Amino acid sequence: MDKEAVLIKKLKNTTLKDIAFSELLDGYQERLYWHIRKIVTTHENADDVLQNTFIRVYKSIANFQEESSLHTWMYRIAYNESLRFLEKNNKKLHENIDEISSKHLEVLFEDVYFDGDEIQIKLNTIIAGFTEKQKRIFHMKYFDDLSFREISEVLNISESTLKSTYYTAVKIIEEKIIL
Amino acid sequence: MEKSAENNNKTGFLREGSIDDVSKKHTKYLGTEIPEGYFETSKTAILDKIKSEISAHKIKDKKQPVLWMQPSFKYLAAASLVFIFGITVWFQNATKKEGVNTSFELLSFNEDYLMNSLLIDDAEFEAFADAMLIHEIVIKAEVSERKIDALFLNSLFVEDSLIDNYTSDFFLEAIIL
Repeated sequence: MDKEAVLIKKLKNTTLKDIAFSELLDGYQERLYWHIRKIVTTHENADDVLQNTFIRVYKSIANFQEESSLHTWMYRIAYNESLRFLEKNNKKLHENIDEISSKHLEVLFEDVYFDGDEIQIKLNTIIAGFTEKQKRIFHMKYFDDLSFREISEVLNISESTLKSTYYTAVKIIEEKIIL
Repeated sequence: MEKSAENNNKTGFLREGSIDDVSKKHTKYLGTEIPEGYFETSKTAILDKIKSEISAHKIKDKKQPVLWMQPSFKYLAAASLVFIFGITVWFQNATKKEGVNTSFELLSFNEDYLMNSLLIDDAEFEAFADAMLIHEIVIKAEVSERKIDALFLNSLFVEDSLIDNYTSDFFLEAIIL
């Protein structure tokens, strides 16, 4: 039985759940935080969404069917929680997703936890110009180190589409960074 | 700027192989940072929030059985309440009618009585009036007879002139009543 299977078994056991959940936090909170941070932009927002994500994981773990890996299941929850957070904010501000994207850079550069140099600002600007799909795929593949199969499970997009989208994005970045 | 110098080799940017530390990778390429010791404090915050959510949920669960009923039971309970209420109202009405028929003795000759007389059957009212008159005459006659007897007995000890005045007044009062 591999490490993940053992952890799932413990998480589903009511007496071992709390100890196992502490282990789960140690192993995943940092990765999930960065996954969320890239979607919701600021540290403050990412902190909120991370908490909500783990609360949802804690509540839903008993219903986890193990059809995907624990890793991708949690990424999917984090991704959905981030989108839910953005939708909630959109409703508050009466903004659509395009307006949110255009404000992404503005909000990012104003965040106290952003300290980018020239090339980092350039990379952020290039990524902000991508479509939402392109942006998510690039982030998940490059920064979160997810495999194409895992990204496919999280986003419900075929692996071939993911690959072509990702390589196009990398090509754009390389060309623009070098120029 | 140290960072800029480090990232100056643009051709190598994003091609440096994998960086195991996720936070370092994000800081290096995207310039995003986190507060120092964030993940230690965030772990505690998440565990605390989960605990408070669970305790709040437990309280809610404990309260639920008192208020919560299966839909079929809700209808049954509502129907029972309506039935009990109906029976109560019907029973009160039934006892009220009996009360009207049997409570003549409680009535007296006043405005309420006259008002009530409008709501009672004529025959019943006449019977009541006859009974009332007989009651008044017989009882009062009996009482005044006894008073007269007592008066005569007392008169044996009182002067004739005084008793004469008293009896004449009392006779007049008794006749008027």
